[in-house]
This record gives sequence, C-alpha cells and structure tokens, in this order.
Amino acid sequence: MRKLFIFSTVTFWLVVAGFWLANFFLPLEPPSAVSTIAETADRNFTLSDVALHGREDDCWMAIEVQVYDITAYLPDHPSEPELVLPWCGKEATQAWQTKGKGRPHSPRADQLLAKYRIGKLDEAR
Amino acid sequence: MTSRPTSALVRRFAAPLAALVPPVAAVWWAFPENLPLWRSIAIVAAWAGSGLLVSSIVLMMRETHVARLLGGLESMYRWHHRSGMLAYLLLLCHPLALALDDWLEAPQLAWMLLAPWTQSWPLWLGWAALLLLMFGLTTTFAARLPYRRWRFFHLALGLGVLLGLAHVYALLGGANILLFLIVTTALALGWRLIASDVGAAAHPYHVVRVAHQPGEMIEVLLAPYASALAVSPGQFVLAAFGDGPHYRGCGEYHPFTVSGIEADGVLRLGIKALGPCSQRIQNLEAGVLVHLQGPFGIFLDGTPSRPQLWVAGGIGITPFMAALRAHRRVQPTTLIYLFRSAADAAFLDELSALVRTDPQFELLAEASGRGLPDFPGLLARISQITERDVNICGPMPMVDALMPQLRQLGVAADAIHFERFDFR
Repeated sequence: MRKLFIFSTVTFWLVVAGFWLANFFLPLEPPSAVSTIAETADRNFTLSDVALHGREDDCWMAIEVQVYDITAYLPDHPSEPELVLPWCGKEATQAWQTKGKGRPHSPRADQLLAKYRIGKLDEAR
Repeated sequence: MTSRPTSALVRRFAAPLAALVPPVAAVWWAFPENLPLWRSIAIVAAWAGSGLLVSSIVLMMRETHVARLLGGLESMYRWHHRSGMLAYLLLLCHPLALALDDWLEAPQLAWMLLAPWTQSWPLWLGWAALLLLMFGLTTTFAARLPYRRWRFFHLALGLGVLLGLAHVYALLGGANILLFLIVTTALALGWRLIASDVGAAAHPYHVVRVAHQPGEMIEVLLAPYASALAVSPGQFVLAAFGDGPHYRGCGEYHPFTVSGIEADGVLRLGIKALGPCSQRIQNLEAGVLVHLQGPFGIFLDGTPSRPQLWVAGGIGITPFMAALRAHRRVQPTTLIYLFRSAADAAFLDELSALVRTDPQFELLAEASGRGLPDFPGLLARISQITERDVNICGPMPMVDALMPQLRQLGVAADAIHFERFDFR
C-alpha cells in the first residue's frame, strides 16, 4: 500500500506539472472562443429577443451587456438544473456575479462563457 | 462471556459491505447523465472517493457494539486502510479528470481549472483537503515515526475529510446524500475523538496488584470502581494508566490483551515492555487509576466444537492464559508455547500445573532463541492436525512463517484464526 501511495502521488504531481507546462507552450486564447466572438461581434439583441429563448432546449442569457446561447452548455453545468434554468431568457448578470452564497464565477468560467457568446445586448431599446 | 460468537460470514463480509454503502449510495445519487466522458469520470471519482472517506472514518470507530456488528476491530481496521487508500486514489483522479475534460475544450482551460490562484474558496477547500490527505498519508506510511507523533499527524486525515465534504457542500449545497455523509462523518469522528481518544466512554478501574513475570513483563490485577467490562477470554481492552504516589502514567490508550477474568469484574492484563509507554508501565504500582475501553476482539470467540491447536509466541500467550484460567478445556487442546529462552517465558509454572490438572490440555513449550522455531518438527508432533481449529497469537513474522506450514499439512484456511493487533 505504501508503494501504491508513493507511485500515485508522484504520478499526480507529474500530470499537474504537465498541465502547467502545457499552459506555457500553447497559445493563450482558445481559438474557438476568439472566432465565435469575431463572427458575432456585430449582432445586437434586445431583452425581448432574449426572452423568446427561455427553455431548457433553447436557453439564452444576457450577462454583462452580452448575449449568450448556453443551450449546449447546460448539461455540463456543475450545479443542479433548478438553479440555472430559471435564468434562461433573462438578464442574468446578477446570477453570474453572485452564484450560490454571493460568489462570482471563476476566470475559467469567464473563458468558457465566451465560447457561447452570440452578440451584444442593445440596452437602448 | 455473554455475547454471541461472531460468525465467519460477519467476520469476513460485514466490514467491506459497510465500506461499500456510502460510496455506492453517493455514486447512485450523483451518477452523471449525458455529460462528456472525462467530466463523468471526475464526478464518479469525487463521489466514490468522498463516500469511501466516510466509510474509512466509520471503520475506525472503537465502540464495542459497532466492532462486533462489523466483524471485529481487526477486520474494521483492515477495511479502514483499504477504503482510505482507494478514496485517496479516486480523489487524485478527480481534479485530473476535470482538467482533462477542459483540455479537450482548450488546453489552457485545464491549467486554469487546476491553478488555485484562478479559483475561489470552494475550490481552495478542495485543494486543502487533498493536500491534507497527502500529508496525513505521508506520515501514516512513515513507519519510523513514534506512535504519539504518528497519531497526532493522523488527525490531518480527519481534517482533510471534513474539508473535502465542505468543498462539496460549498459547490453543490445541502443535497440529502451530502448531508447524510456529513452527519455520518461528524458522528463517527466525534465518537472516536471524544468517547475513545479523550476517553469519555471509558470505565474507571484501579490497580490492585502488580506481579512481575519473566522477560520484561508484568501482570496487572485491575478492579472496577463502578460497572465492569463484560470481557471474554481472547479479547483485549484499551487502557490508559494514570498517576500514583511514585508513578507517572503516560495517560494514552494502548491495547492490552486480557490474561485473566476473575469474580467481581476483576481483570488481569499481561503487559510486556515493547515501546516507551509499556516500558514505563513496568514500574506501575498499586492504587493507580486506570481507564479501560472495550472489550474488543473476536479471538477464541465461542465454545470450540473441534479439537484445538493453539500457538503462542512470547506475549501472545496472554489470550490463551485467559481462556485456560476461565474454565477447563471442553475439547482436546494442545498449546505450542514459543519463547526466546526459559528466562523469558511468562506463566510457564502455571501452565505446567494446568497440564497436571486438566487431562484435555497438552503443552509443548519450546525455547526458539532469536530465530524462527522448527515448525515442521513441532507440527509433526501434533496428532490429527487437520481435525483441529488452529488459533495463533504472536508476532507477525511468526504467523507468516507458520501459515504456509499449516496449509501444507492440509489445515483448511478457514480453520486458522489469528488477529493482527496493529493500530496504525
């Protein structure tokens, strides 16, 4: 059991070190996120547009003046669906910034979210 | 004395089954659907690992009824170790599988998931739990660490389990299954710390007499101040010796096998100088307050239905002394008693006297020096060995050397009984 402990612990830290090194040697921005933003940068939506997509199988949210279609991500979200689904079709900035017990989402979540951006929220209309 | 013998099935399967309940329940509840492969693996590993940590905590409870229900403390400790180790392996896989899942999205996301400075406190809790488990297990496997320090560092593992559960709670909130795991852990850990380690559930006794035996060993006679423990021959107690007029006890609980059970709850304990605390106990005097917990152990459990072969090495004679002193043999019983030299052999005169008064009892006493004894020669002197139940108590190298010899002579595996008194 002692050998198993040493082997598994060393392997764990080697894999963590591998992820750290990969972070240095690979490009900083995920290319898919960049292209999604670039392609959709000029599309504007109103809150009425967002409100038309308030279902589990068609879920848009407005967060920090951007509009996201997170339908494809919903099954991956760590928390229970009941926490996320009520925000489909709505302005969800507050929920984004204060997920359970007032904590903001992580920088990693920011990066993930960027992939699902489909346009800007037009606040004037 | 009064409790029913523990069946072979319970001895074998109760502890592993108990170890399986929390992880199976947790994975059943949290089993992911329609999620990517590595994310699913991460979730299953997290819940199975958390469940096994809870099992590991439950299996280190030192409570007489729980121990009997789960097949004895020895089996519980074996599965405490196994479930703890398996939990650790699964929990190491958890962050790595999550990182791999992110890697498939974009390689940079993997490191962002792992790097603590990009995270907030719920994930720091997870990292703290994993590092505490790592530290606690490092000290667990440090064989040379003195017992007292080893036990202190072992607390890191308990704290690691609590932080791990706090990590899950902070991320997911109070789901029923998680509350079940948290409450179970709190109760088991609380019982272990307060009732067992602090000794709130201990029974007060006092030292009536101390008899010095050959070979750096004493036999202590203890009488209860209040209610007495219901001890059977073959069992052991955890004893913490206090102070006396000229004696300073080390005050911590150590296991000692009962060597005699007398009227009015009076117990005899055979104590050999094996470590710093048991060395100090050799200077024990009458009047010292002793706290006892237990009894534990299922060695020599029940009335024998077949002829017996007992093998005792050194201090391993104590459970057999308790049985021989309790009553005459109901089955033909041969005791092979091994010691380094006659000057080290405790109870030899008393055993010789028992041979004369009990026709069912036979003694083969052998001084084996520092090496292993001539087992083939000794076992050749035992008649109808395959018809006998074999009970062994002694140092592990002796048990390990004896086992293959017995098997070679045709003794069935389930006819051989021994307990490993290892509390690390």
